[in-house]
Amino acid sequence: MLGEERRAEHEGALTEPASGRLVSPDIRDEFGLETIDMNMGPQHPAMHGLLRLILELDGETVVRCDPIMGYLHRCQEKIAENRMYPAVIPMTDRLDYFANMHNEHGYCLAVEDLLDVEIPPRAEYIRVLMCELMRLASHIPSIGFLMLELGAFTPILYAFRERERIQTIFEAVTGARMMFHYIRIGGVKADLPPDIPQKIWDYIQSLEDHFQRDFVDLIQGNEIFISRTRNVGKMTQEQAVEMGVTGPALRCTGVDFDIRLDYPYSVYPDLEFEVVTDSAGDVEASYRVRIAECLQSIRIIKQCLEQMPEGEVMGDTGRRIRPAEGEGFGRVESPRGEFAVHVVSDGSDTPYRVHYRDPSFCNMQLLQEIVPGHYLPDIMPIMGLIDPVSGGWDK
Amino acid sequence: MQTVLYLLEVEPIRLLISFGAVLFLVLNLAAILTMAERKVSGYIHLRFGPNRVGPRGLLQPAADVFKLFSKENVSPGRSDLWVFLGAPIAMFIPAALVWLVVPFAPDAVVADLNVAILFFVAITSIGALGVVMAGYGSRSAFSLLGALRGAAQMISYEVPLILSLLGVVMLSGSLSLTDVVRAQGDTIWTWYFLPQLPMFLTFYISGIAEVKRVPFDLPEGESEIVGGYMIEYSGMTWALIQAAEFASMAVMSAITVTLFLGGWQPPLPFLDLGQFNWVWFGIKTALIMFTFQWIRWSVPRLRMDQLMDLGWKVLVPITLIWLFVTAGAMLVF
Repeated sequence: MLGEERRAEHEGALTEPASGRLVSPDIRDEFGLETIDMNMGPQHPAMHGLLRLILELDGETVVRCDPIMGYLHRCQEKIAENRMYPAVIPMTDRLDYFANMHNEHGYCLAVEDLLDVEIPPRAEYIRVLMCELMRLASHIPSIGFLMLELGAFTPILYAFRERERIQTIFEAVTGARMMFHYIRIGGVKADLPPDIPQKIWDYIQSLEDHFQRDFVDLIQGNEIFISRTRNVGKMTQEQAVEMGVTGPALRCTGVDFDIRLDYPYSVYPDLEFEVVTDSAGDVEASYRVRIAECLQSIRIIKQCLEQMPEGEVMGDTGRRIRPAEGEGFGRVESPRGEFAVHVVSDGSDTPYRVHYRDPSFCNMQLLQEIVPGHYLPDIMPIMGLIDPVSGGWDK
Repeated sequence: MQTVLYLLEVEPIRLLISFGAVLFLVLNLAAILTMAERKVSGYIHLRFGPNRVGPRGLLQPAADVFKLFSKENVSPGRSDLWVFLGAPIAMFIPAALVWLVVPFAPDAVVADLNVAILFFVAITSIGALGVVMAGYGSRSAFSLLGALRGAAQMISYEVPLILSLLGVVMLSGSLSLTDVVRAQGDTIWTWYFLPQLPMFLTFYISGIAEVKRVPFDLPEGESEIVGGYMIEYSGMTWALIQAAEFASMAVMSAITVTLFLGGWQPPLPFLDLGQFNWVWFGIKTALIMFTFQWIRWSVPRLRMDQLMDLGWKVLVPITLIWLFVTAGAMLVF
């Protein structure tokens, strides 16, 4: 039988997963029933990007969860070695494509660490303003994605309406809707258009008006939402710290780690905001943290608009960027956690080595730890807790 | 003309013709419902829904059907072909058959069975068979999980569904649907949904679970098992499954209206439309279907264990208690 042969072939492939992780011993219960292997992804419509999960199921309970990445690998770090310093910035846009502004910011901080360049204060404020708008444009859809994964289709469309409006602002400022190439080494590409501060102010006001109604009242008290998310993906502080988790996924366990305050960069020390934490450490807590962070971002944006000084937006980096030999390091708080860039220079005009530490990749380690023991439908909310982006974990 | 009318009085021929008419109605209803579903979801989502084909997009179902007819029917290489192809039929036939006993108006019912409620219960439970066939025949882990969920869900929710029917049967003293409607009278406060409010809500909830719609669409579970039992279907087989789902949703609304909301009866006596009373039946059924769609686009999905908890630990006790309350009240008054 052809089918039998194919099946044998298939089983052979599953005993040696590509990740090299050992397969757990054949689990049989007292009735001699086996577990079944299931392949989720990489072409799975509900998965965040191209992620493949090899699952071992005992009924509906997940016994083993093996994430396999690499389906979107684009040699970002290697390509960066062959491009001149400013030409790497558009490449960083393609990393975490849901929060590009933070990638650019992180890379520019690392190169500016190598160079001796003074960044004009107006440029710093514009950077922070854009990054916080980006955080809104990333957090609001991730709340929508979480609801989509729970089976409610509507919130994602409300969330994308907000992202769309923020993208319109980005389009006016940077000329692009997603791949901005706006933050440059030494400053930003161009000053804000004259009408944009007022537009951002108006948008933030209108968002404040309906944020509570659209993303909190509709979701938070829903009985089904609570039963699907409370105590799902539960992790302890120790677990999260050991795994190197950062961002909302860490803060929802109660650790108040935020690069913006713990390793301050740009003008964050001059701004007033709080680090939001929650103690539960489950999917519901991560939702609450994201909601509260959106409100903090709104607060930061308002302060940026009020305090923004006049002046230049580009520092003097010289015609050609050629840092002296050495190492530069920059880290920013992206919506998913700590995004860090390490640049090594050998004195030429291309970097010797660029390394990105992407939160999507590091947070993904949680899957193997916290998914086993949950039911199959719980995998998706847990993905919503981590909220990884394909371009981020594969680089 | 005389011969045609004569033929209509011969019972088997009358049954055949009227069943044909009902089948026609069901298939068209499925098409209209897909359209309604997309429009309703569109307006809930702050978008327009289909608006390109025909005036205001009203010809969209026709375009859909044309597309589905022209698509290739793909079956997986490992599938059990007969089971795989039989499943959509096994799902569609029960959904269409229930329409036989639905009274549209005083005399407009294909077969006025004296055990119509029993017939409804028996035929609805066959629907689970089609789901299991589809999941088993596809031979994929996703569809198998969907089928097992579907079987467990539909069989569990049949219990509260049947128990919640019993109150109505006790009050009307009949298993015939036309008698149930007649017993409810032509004023809104004499319909059974008021004295049987917990039963009505239980019937409504288990009805949603029985037709596998959000928040009980676990067999479909589009975010984890992407379509579940129907994951391998394409073209017309898929269309038949969809038609079966929409037909069973429509029939569930029709039965809800018949049992609890007075069927064809007008809400107040002076609104009696005589032989056009089927309009009332249509309006009420459409309203119930609209609430199904409203719920679908508003709430997330339950998990399997929570679904079972709701069915066995909440709905069944409620129906049992209210059954005793009804029986006690009937003894006293």
